[in-house]
Order: sequence, then C-alpha cells, then structure tokens
Amino acid sequence: MSHTVLVCDDAIFMRTMISDILAQAGFEIVGEAETGSQAVEKYKQLRPDLVTMDIVMPDMGGIDAVREIVKHDPDAKILMCSAMGQQALVVEAIQAGAKDFVVKPFQPSRVLEAVQRVLG
Amino acid sequence: MSDAGVVRLLVFRVGGLLCAAEAERVREILPRLATTRIPGAPPAVAGLVNVRGTLVTVVEGWRALRQPEPPASNGTQGGTTVLLEVGAGRKVLGFTVDEVVDLLAADAAALERRAALPGVDPTLVRAVGRRAGQLFVVLDTDALLTPILSS
Amino acid sequence: MDLSQYAELFLAESREHLSACNQLLLEWERHPAGLTPVSGLFRAVHTVKGMAATMGYARVTDLAHRMENLLDVQRRGAHPATDELLQLLFRARDALERAVELSVVGRERELDVAAIVADLEQAAARMAPARPGERPVPSPEPTEPEPEAAGRLVQVTLRPEAPLKGGRAVLVLKRAQALGAVHAVTPPVTAFEADEFDGRFSFRLDATAAAEQIEAALKAAGDVAHVTVGGAEAGGPAPEPGATPGDAGAVGGGPSRHIRVDLRRLDGLMDLIGELITVRGRLNQLAAERRDPAVDDVAIQVSRLSSDLQAEILQARMTPVWQVFDRFPRLVRDVARELGKQVAFRVEGKEIELDRAILDELGDPLMHLLRNAVDHGIEPPAERRRRGKPPEGEVVLTAQRERASVTITVADDGRGVDRRKILERAQREGVVDAHADALTDEQLLRVLARPGFSTAEAVTSVSGRGVGIDVAMTRIRALGGTIEIRSELGKGTTFVLRLPVTLAIVRAIMASVGPERYALPLTYVAETVEFGAVTTTMVEGREAIVLRDHVVPLVHLRRLLGVTSDRAPARAPIIVLELGDRRAGVVVDGMLGQQEIVVKGFDAPQGTLPVFSGATIMGDGVPALILDAAGLV
Repeated sequence: MSHTVLVCDDAIFMRTMISDILAQAGFEIVGEAETGSQAVEKYKQLRPDLVTMDIVMPDMGGIDAVREIVKHDPDAKILMCSAMGQQALVVEAIQAGAKDFVVKPFQPSRVLEAVQRVLG
Repeated sequence: MSDAGVVRLLVFRVGGLLCAAEAERVREILPRLATTRIPGAPPAVAGLVNVRGTLVTVVEGWRALRQPEPPASNGTQGGTTVLLEVGAGRKVLGFTVDEVVDLLAADAAALERRAALPGVDPTLVRAVGRRAGQLFVVLDTDALLTPILSS
Repeated sequence: MDLSQYAELFLAESREHLSACNQLLLEWERHPAGLTPVSGLFRAVHTVKGMAATMGYARVTDLAHRMENLLDVQRRGAHPATDELLQLLFRARDALERAVELSVVGRERELDVAAIVADLEQAAARMAPARPGERPVPSPEPTEPEPEAAGRLVQVTLRPEAPLKGGRAVLVLKRAQALGAVHAVTPPVTAFEADEFDGRFSFRLDATAAAEQIEAALKAAGDVAHVTVGGAEAGGPAPEPGATPGDAGAVGGGPSRHIRVDLRRLDGLMDLIGELITVRGRLNQLAAERRDPAVDDVAIQVSRLSSDLQAEILQARMTPVWQVFDRFPRLVRDVARELGKQVAFRVEGKEIELDRAILDELGDPLMHLLRNAVDHGIEPPAERRRRGKPPEGEVVLTAQRERASVTITVADDGRGVDRRKILERAQREGVVDAHADALTDEQLLRVLARPGFSTAEAVTSVSGRGVGIDVAMTRIRALGGTIEIRSELGKGTTFVLRLPVTLAIVRAIMASVGPERYALPLTYVAETVEFGAVTTTMVEGREAIVLRDHVVPLVHLRRLLGVTSDRAPARAPIIVLELGDRRAGVVVDGMLGQQEIVVKGFDAPQGTLPVFSGATIMGDGVPALILDAAGLV
C-alpha cells in the first residue's frame, strides 16, 4: 500500500508540481484542495496519510486549516509548504500542529526528506 | 544568414534558375497539391492548398521569379511544393519549384555576398553559391514572399 | 527536475493572477479606504512569486517579492491607499506581467526592473513605521542559561543553509518535548520568528533518555548540524535521510481533476473532427450510391458518433467571456484618466460562454469600441454638468445569450452621434445620396465604418485617426458576426455585436461558378430563385430583381470573382442573401447542395477580394472559399 496524500494549494501550478514529485516517488495523490476550508472538508472525507498545505490560500488560510484538521484528528500528518520570509507563519503553523515544512522553490529531494520525517 | 560557419541550404530548380533557401526556414517538402484560386490575389499566388487540415497559401515559384512557364505546369501535375516559414511571424507559405535538387551544408564564408546573377532581381538575392560547378542564388525568401502576404 | 513542462502552466496561472490584480487594484482605487482588495492582491502576488521562484525566474521573483513586501507593510499599517501608491502598484503589476511573459520565452534578461524595484522599496520604506529601535537581537552565544533550571543543557546548531531556521528550531523543540519537559529556551521562542535568528539555540531538557537517544531524536527534526547534551559534544554528521519512500505503489490515478488544455490541442482536435466530418460526408455519399442497408447502417452510426464527438469538443472549447472582458476595466480606467473624464464601467453577463477562438478574436474590436465610447462618447465632466447629466459617465459592456448567438453590447451615455454633421460630411464625400435628408442607423454605421472617417473634433491619441470602427467591423464579420449601431444625440451610443456561439462548423450551400466552388453560410440565405424565372430590372443603375415588392440588387459572382472560363448557364440560380434589412441576389452557375462545413481561417494574400470570411476543406480534400454575406449585400 502506498501512502495517500491530499495536496492543498491555491495554485494549480504548485499542486501539479507537488503531485508530480510525490507521485513519482510512489505516493498516491487522492485529492487536491485549493482553499483552506476545502482542505478541511477533504481531509475528513479522504483521511489521507499525509497533507501538504500551502500557507497563503483564499477563503481559509493554511494555518487555520491545520488547526481545524488537528482538532478533528490530532494525529494528522501535515507538511506545510511555505515561502521564504514566512518564518513567523511557519512557527505559528507548527505550533498549530503541522509536523514539518518545506520552502519554495521546492527541490524534490527536500520535499521527500520532509515527507519521510513527517511519516516517521 | 548565420555567422556560425556552416549554413544548411535546400537547393531547388525553378525554370532555368538554380536557387536555394535556408533549410532552417523550410518546414516541409510536399508534392504539388490541388489548388483553389483566391480571387483578387496577385498573379504569383497559385492559391490555397490543404496541408493535413491547415490552409496554406501557395506562391507559384516561376511567376514570382519571373521564369518562363514550365511546360509540365498544367495545373496539378508535376512539381514540388516547399513549405517555407516567412517573416518574423514565421507564417507558413507554399512555394512551388520544378524540383528539389539537394540539401547541402555550405560554408558561409564560401558563399559570395554578391547580389547579382543575370535574370534575378538583385534585391531577392542574399548570396551566390556554387554546387558541382553550377552557380545558385540563395534567395531572400522574406523579401520575395512577405510583400505577397497582406499586412 | 525538468521545469520546462511547467512553463505553460506557470504562464496561464500567472496571467490569471495578474488579471485578478488589475480588478483588485481598480476596486481599491474606487474605494481607497477599504482594505479588502489588499489581501487578495497580496495573495495573487505571493502566488506568482512562489511559482516564479520554483521556475527559477529571478526577476519575476524579485519584483513580486518587492510588491508583496509593500502590500504587507501597507496592510499591517492599515494605511488607506494614496493615489501615488496605487499608480505605483499599477505600474509594478504591468512590469510583473512583462517579466512573466518574457521569462517564459527565455528573455527575462531583456527586462530592466531596477527602477520599479527601487520605487517599490522606497515606498515600502516610507510607509514602514520607523523601526522601533533594533529589535533586541537574541544573544548569539547561548552559553549562559539559567543554572538553576532543571535538566540537562542541550545546545543545538542548525545547518547554516537551512531555510527558515526559526521554524526548524520549533520542530526541534517539539521533538524534545516528546522526551521530557523543556525549560529555559535561549533565545526565547519569540526570537525564532525573527529573520535574524541564526539557528543556534539551547534549552534545558528534563528527561531520562540517554544522550545518544536525545541527539538522534532531535536530529530527526531535520537540518540539524550539531547537538550537544549535558555539555558533552555529541555531534557528527546528521544521518543520511532516506531519499525515496519505500513502497513504489501505483502512480497517480484516483481523483478527477480539472485540467488545462492548451488551445493548440483543442484546435488540433477541431481540425481532426473537421476532417472526420468531411470524410463522413464522403461516406454518406458513397452509402447513398451503394444502396446497401448494412453500409447505410454504418454510415448512420458514424454520423451520430461524429456529431456527438463534435458537440463534446465544441463544448470543451467554450470559454466564459470574462477571460477577455476582465482586462477592460483597467483599459477604460486608463483611457478615462488620460482624457480627464469620469467613467463608471460596468460589465454584465461575464459568465456567458463563447468558442475560445471567437473570444480571442473579440478582444481587439471590443477594445476599439470601448476606447471610442470613452473618447468620443463620454463628455468631459464640465460639459456633462452643463447638459444636466451626472459628471460621471457610464459605459456598460454586456454579454447575452440568444439561441444560437451571443449578443455583446457596448453602450455609453455620452453625447451620441450628431447625424446632421455626419450627413453633411457623408454627402460631401459622396458616401450617401446628395438628396438624403436623414441617416438611418445602418447608413450611419456604414459611414462611420469607412476607413479613416472621423468626426472627432480633435484627433486624440486614444482612438487615433479614424474611429477604428472599420477595423472592429472587419473582424466581427470575419467571425461570421454582425455589428449594429444605435445612437441618439445627447443620450449616447450603443454598438450591438451579434456573434455565433461556435465558429467552427456551419451549414452552407455549395455553389459552383465556372470550375470553382464556393460556400455560402445558410444563416444568411433567405431563399433561392432561378435566374430567368424572375424579371430583372435596373434600379439606380444596378441590375436587380423584384421579389414580393422588394428590390433585390444582383451580384454576378462570375463577374465579381473574375471567372472567365466557359459561359454562364442560361438559367442560373440566384441565392438571395439577407442581412438585417439589406438583401442581395447572388447569381451563381449551379448549386451543389447543402452541407456542414468547418470554417477555417487563411492568410489572405494582398489584394484578396474582401468578400471571403474564411475557407473550408471539401470532401475531396480540396479547399473552397466561404463567401461573406456582409461583403456581398
């Protein structure tokens, strides 16, 4: 069984790229979300092994989505996708329950390292 | 013309004239295709042809280069259509020739930047080359064909 | 990894965000005190930045980063937007757009962003509150933790190249907390959020685990260079992280997603379905000749399947008009600003869909008409006040679906066209009869559409010489559409564009003229009559027939198209075309029946008669030109 992943980002570009990186490494992308509230909804519905979560999204941001998801499932494994200069937001996300983070621009090897750490 | 030493040229014959076009501008070489006249277009325009679903305007080579009408040119028989990319926009135009002779790599330095060969409008000539002892003109296909396309 | 495959996606999505930026900036400009658009702008620019960084487009990234910065400062300070700030952001957005477009084609270096970057930086610096002193920088040497705190002293150094070290440090602390109580974090966790945090920190850990265990647990947080527990250095290189997850299961699959399809693919599909339909015509013809029920059966099935396929593909090509309309608010604003006019611009029916190819062609004509509306239609505020109108003029762009067509109107409440003035001028130039005493809407349009005809008192830089209606009209007609004008002096002008919903396939009558074949779209064919069966007469020097009390001027295609071979048949058919209230009888040699044709464009050579709206490929693979009703009546 390969691990299932829910990819959350408001940019199709980013979703495509993350999905490609993970799919090539053998993960199964079971869903995508483009807003925070979609992410929460799809998490409940799909129960993926891993969530990749963008921080800046419309509707509900990534950090609030992390809070919601963790409230629902304290063991949720969420990997934040952040940009340079978002130090404070990343800290906030981790305190909210995210397990790790990667920084754009993504290097596939770094993404996969982080995923390994999250899945422990 | 590129400065980088070697230029690839497609050499073809139109009437009594041996000409060449930069191979980089040649999209495809096709047999002569059934042509639909375009009313109002200049006489050098043979008409419209169907290249796998795309419509391409074809210019009659011998008319554009003011060569005598080839005896075999009775409409749809004989000859070859060279699809050329024209102008900065690289629009595709067909150009009919009597036969394609050769595809050769010429040393740019060996091409004489001479713009004169009897019987050819010098503004259409980029250079003159030699193949098997025979002179050929490297056509400025943009200068020859862009005026035919409307703006 | 190969990034080129993502370039188109990057471009398409960046364009969307840039278009959104325009809308948001305009909204902000209308309500400068509001802050709602700022977060949208911030998000859009941020997204572009992230994508550009991933693609390695340094200038785009830099520019987006500066914009984001400025927006962030603005947002935090909750400053209302000044005009200066908005103009700067408009300018920056435009620069970003250019940077995006150039980057994708590998010409990023051509763009000089230094000036705009400097302006953005300055603006951000001006707006930022004078930094409240230097933030107390955390002591870089956390060597003196409170000695009385319980537990062992743990010192951690992150890898120097680790990004966002503060975030990593928090992850390390979390791992430590899983082992035992953590106290006396130095520098304090709040300092982790600062950009200056250098990745060295320490804490006291009250845990029973062995030093090696603690070290391993903390290193598993990633990006940790050294860990010392209880004063003893327990360093060494970090364990090599597993590069690939273990199980290589099935790739992809699963969820349905929307995908973006390159327009060229859709065009390619359209070409193929066009050829399929052409071949289907041939098959039907053969089936009819064979009179074999089994062959008939197959032919019918192929017909049905190809029709379904065609409908699906046409549907896939449908695109909401906002994709083109969204750039107009900015255009109208810029033009109005340049001309010192006040214009409220509204768009209605954004969600109406049109074939992508039609929509793409529509951009320029609409731009012309909108510029015209602002330039020639809307009066300057003072003049409007004098006329008892509100100083702010209104321009409305509307899309509406009507059965098989879409109507697009451009309406302004400006000065309207002064018919008397135009009539005089038209008479002087011989465009209309010298005795005419009024211009109908239709005549008016014909006059206005003459290349170079302008009634503007001053030729402005906006619309340039001539009104550009000729350009708009030619384009619309080439799409198989029509254009009408309604104008009332002092009240405003409305242009009505009627367009087919799908361009690609129409029913047409095929006609022969000498050895040549031409297609006439059925939309404009009113009826066909036989030459000789009706009497011809001369009306105003033109040959015409009278049909039910209507005079229908004749157009002999042989003469018009210069077909000289053989002689015209004695009883030639006349195809009567109707376009609005204009008619013409087109005399051809023979009729070859009706069929569906796939409309294709072609690069018309110089001098081509302006009576063709495109061409199609016939069942035998040979092209035939499509006659344009608007060019004939």
